[in-house]
Amino acid sequence: MLASMLQRIRNAPPRYWLVVVVALFFAGLPTVVSSFSAGLWAHALIFVIAIMGLNILIGYSGQLSLGHGAFMALGAYTMAILVSRYHVNYLATIPIAGLLTGVVGFVFGIPALRLSALYLALATFALAVVTPNFIARPDKFTGGNHGIILAAPDPPQFAKDAFAAVTGTPMTGDQWIYYLTAAIGALLFWLAWNLVRHRAGRAMRAIRDGEVAAAASGVNIAAYKTLAFGISAFYAGIAGSLYGIVTGFVSPETFPVTLSIALLVGAVIGGLASTAGPLLGGIFVYYLPIESNQWVPSQSWIPGQIASAVEKAGPAVTYGVVLILIMIFAPNGIVGLIVAGYTRLRRRLRGVADRDIGQMPPASQTVP
Amino acid sequence: MAALLELEEVRAGYGQTSVLHGVSMSVEEGQIVSLLGANGAGKTTTLRSVTGGVHWSGDIRFSGRSLKRLSTEDVVRCGIAHVPEGRGILTELTVDENLRLGAYLRKDGGHVRKDYDRVFEYFPVLHERRRLSASTLSGGEQQMLAVARALLMRPRLMLLDEPSLGLAPIVVRAIFEIIRTINQADGVSIFLVEQNARLALEISSQAYVLEVGRVAVSGASSDLMGKESVRRSYLGY
Amino acid sequence: MQALIQQVISGIASGGIFASLALALVLIYNAMGLVNFAQGEMAMFATFIAFTLIDRGLSYWIAFPVTLVIAFAGGVLIQRVVIRPVERAPVLTLVIITLGMATLINGLAGFIWGYVPRSIPSPFSVGTYSVLGAVVSYQDIGVIAISAVVLLLIYLLLQRTTIGLTMRAAAHHPEASRLLGVRVSWMLALGWGLAAAVGAVSGIMVAPVLFLEPNMMQAIIVYAFAAAVLGGIESPLGAVVGGVIVGVTVNLAGALPFVGGDLELAVALAIIIAVLLVRPNGLFGRPSVRRV
Repeated sequence: MLASMLQRIRNAPPRYWLVVVVALFFAGLPTVVSSFSAGLWAHALIFVIAIMGLNILIGYSGQLSLGHGAFMALGAYTMAILVSRYHVNYLATIPIAGLLTGVVGFVFGIPALRLSALYLALATFALAVVTPNFIARPDKFTGGNHGIILAAPDPPQFAKDAFAAVTGTPMTGDQWIYYLTAAIGALLFWLAWNLVRHRAGRAMRAIRDGEVAAAASGVNIAAYKTLAFGISAFYAGIAGSLYGIVTGFVSPETFPVTLSIALLVGAVIGGLASTAGPLLGGIFVYYLPIESNQWVPSQSWIPGQIASAVEKAGPAVTYGVVLILIMIFAPNGIVGLIVAGYTRLRRRLRGVADRDIGQMPPASQTVP
Repeated sequence: MAALLELEEVRAGYGQTSVLHGVSMSVEEGQIVSLLGANGAGKTTTLRSVTGGVHWSGDIRFSGRSLKRLSTEDVVRCGIAHVPEGRGILTELTVDENLRLGAYLRKDGGHVRKDYDRVFEYFPVLHERRRLSASTLSGGEQQMLAVARALLMRPRLMLLDEPSLGLAPIVVRAIFEIIRTINQADGVSIFLVEQNARLALEISSQAYVLEVGRVAVSGASSDLMGKESVRRSYLGY
Repeated sequence: MQALIQQVISGIASGGIFASLALALVLIYNAMGLVNFAQGEMAMFATFIAFTLIDRGLSYWIAFPVTLVIAFAGGVLIQRVVIRPVERAPVLTLVIITLGMATLINGLAGFIWGYVPRSIPSPFSVGTYSVLGAVVSYQDIGVIAISAVVLLLIYLLLQRTTIGLTMRAAAHHPEASRLLGVRVSWMLALGWGLAAAVGAVSGIMVAPVLFLEPNMMQAIIVYAFAAAVLGGIESPLGAVVGGVIVGVTVNLAGALPFVGGDLELAVALAIIIAVLLVRPNGLFGRPSVRRV
C-alpha cells in the first residue's frame, strides 16, 4: 500500500510538485512578512478568486463579461447587510453570498444565451457602469452613498495559539483573514481544477471553440453556458464577500467599472483557459497600483508634480498598455508564454515533441 | 514578343495545402484562353494567384512586369479585371454604385460616359434596376452586373471565373455573346475558367486543362474539341 | 404641457450628443464588425484638446474644427498602429484591445490634465427662447443645431461622394472592393478617423453640461450603446433615431420621482437589455447570417 503510494508520488508530473511548492509558499507567507503585508496579500488573493471565476466564463465557455464587478458588489453587500443588519456570523455569510450571487448569475446566464458575444460584452459593460447607481439607490438597505462599515473580525482562539506556537506572536486579524482567504482560494482552485478536467470542462471548451460543432456533438449548450455564468458569479460573490470582510467597508464607490476592467485584465494577463493564470493575473493586477504608488515617489528623477499624476494615472496606463500588448503578442497570457517556453525547452532537451499525460491544457486559442 | 499574361512554374496553396504544383501558361494579347478541369483542379486558385488573392511562388508577369509582391489593388491597377467565383457583387450597395466602382480607377471621364451607355445597351435590365440594391438582382442579373462592372474598368485583361455557373442556358448564351463582343470589338483579352468545357472551347482560341494542380493538356481549342480521347478523359463529353 | 415640451427638447439635445457618439460606433462596427469600447475615451481626449486650445486663446469656433481634424488624425493613427496589425484576430480579441485602449487613453488624459473636474463655459449665450410657450435654452438649441449639421455632413459624405462610396464598399465587402482597385486598408483608416471626429463632436458638446474630467464619457458611452443598439448597430440612420429616442426617454424618465436623475443610466441599461432580448437587430438593422 505504502509502496504504491510512494510510486505514485515519484511518478507525479512536475506540475503537481509546483502546486505543492506554491501551497507551501502561501501557507508560510504570513510568518515571514508583516501583518500589514499579509492583509495586502489577502486582497490580492481575493482578486485571484474573482478572476478564477471570470476565467471559467471567458476562457472556458467563451462568454465575455465586463460586469463581474457587479457580482462582487452583490456578494459584498449580501455579506455586509447580513452582518450589520441581521447579525449573522460573518463566516456563514461567505457561502450564502456566494450561493446567492451564483444563483443570480445563473439567472443572468439565461437571457445571456440569446446575446452574441459582442452584445454580451456591451450589456455587461453597461451593467458595470450602472452598478454604483444601483447600489446607492435603496439607501435604507445599503446605506446609500455612505456605505456600510463593518468591524474587523478577530481570529478565533485556536488560530491565535497555533500561530503563536509557530512564530511567537498570536495571529492578528489581518493574518487570520489572509488564511481564511487562502484556504477558501485553495478550495475554489481545487474545484475549478476538477471542473475543467472533467466532463463539464471539456464541454465548455468545446463550446468555446465552436458552438455549432459542439451542439452537433450533443453538448447541451444552453445548460453549460448558464452553468458557467452561475459558477463564475459564485466565485465573484465569494470574492466580494471576502473583500468586504478584508476592507471592513463597502460602498458604491468601491465597485466602479474599473474594477470589472481590472478583473478582465487579470484574467487575460494570466492566461485565459489556464488554471494557473488567475493566480498570476490576480497578483499582478492587485499589486500594480500599489507598487507604482510606492515606486514612483521614491524615484528622484521624476519631478514632484509629475509624480502624483503618474501615481494616479500610472496603473490605468499600464493596464491599458499591458492589455493591448498581451492581446497582440501573447494572447495566452503569461502562462501561455511560460508553457510555450517550457515546451520549447523540453523539446530541445529531449529532441522530440511528445505529450505528457496530465499536462496542462495546451495553450489553445484565445476567446473566439 | 512576350505574352500579355505569363504564368511560370506557379505553385500556390492555402496554408499547408498546396493546390497548384507548378503550372505554366500564357495569354496573348487579344486572345480568349480557357482554363478547364474538374472541381478542385486548381482553376480558381490560378486566377486568384494572378490578382494576389492567394500566396504563390514562381513568377506571374503581366505585360512583361512581374506581379510578385503586388497587392490586389495594385495588380488590378495594372489593367486586370477579375470577376471572381461568386461574382463579387457588393450587395450592400445599389446597382448604380456597383457600376460606379467599376469606373473608380478610370481617369478618362468622357469615355466613361460612353462606356456606361454601352453597358446599359448590353444589359438593359441594369439600367432599369440601377437605383435598387444589388441584392435584389437574380443570379443571372448579378452575373451581368459583374461583367458590366468589369467592362467599365476598361481592362486589358479580364479574368472570368465560371461565368455560367447557376445560370439558365439563355442567360449563359447572352453573356457569352457579350464576352465575344468585348474581345473582338474592344480587344480585351480574356482568361476564362469554366466548368462548361464545350462553351469555353467554342469561344476560346487556346485552352489549358488542369488536373490536380498540373497542366494535363494544352493546345488550340479546336484541336482539343476535335480529339475524342481528350474530350472523354478530361472534358467529360 | 410646457414642462413636457421642455423635457422633450432637452431630451432631443441630449439625443444629439448620444447620436453623434453612436454614429461613431456604427461607423466602426460597419467597417470591422466590432464595437469600439474606446470611442468614448477618444472623444474625451479630443475634448480635452479642444478646451486646452481654447485656454490658449483660440476662439471656440476655431478650436472646434481644429480639434475635429486632430481627432481625425488620431483615429487614423490608431487604426494604422494598433488595429491594422491585428486585423485578422478574432473579434473578441479586438474588443479586449479596444478596452485596453480605453483604459490607456483614460490614464493618459489623467496624467496630462489631472483628475480635477473642470467647469467649461458654454459657447452659447445663457439665454432662453420660447417655443410654444415652453422655455428652451440656447444651449439646447445650439447642441441640436450642431448635431444636425454634423450628422447631415456625414450623411452627405458617405452617400454622395466617391470617397464615401469607397469607404462603404471597403467596410462591407473588403475582398470584392480590392478587386475593384479600392485601397481597403486606407479606407478602414479613414473610417476610424471619421468615427473619431464624430465622437469628438459628442464630447465637445457635452463638456459644458457635465464637468470635464477623464471619466466624463463613461456614462455617455452607455447611452450611445443604447442608441446604437436601439437603432440597429449597422445603421447610421438608426444611430440618429436611436439617439433621439434614448435622449428623450431618459430625460422624461429622469423627471419621474421613482427614477430620478441617478437612475437615468439604469434606464439606458434597461433599453439595451430590452432591445437585445426582443429585437436584437434594432429598429433599422437587418438580421445577418452567422458565418459558421
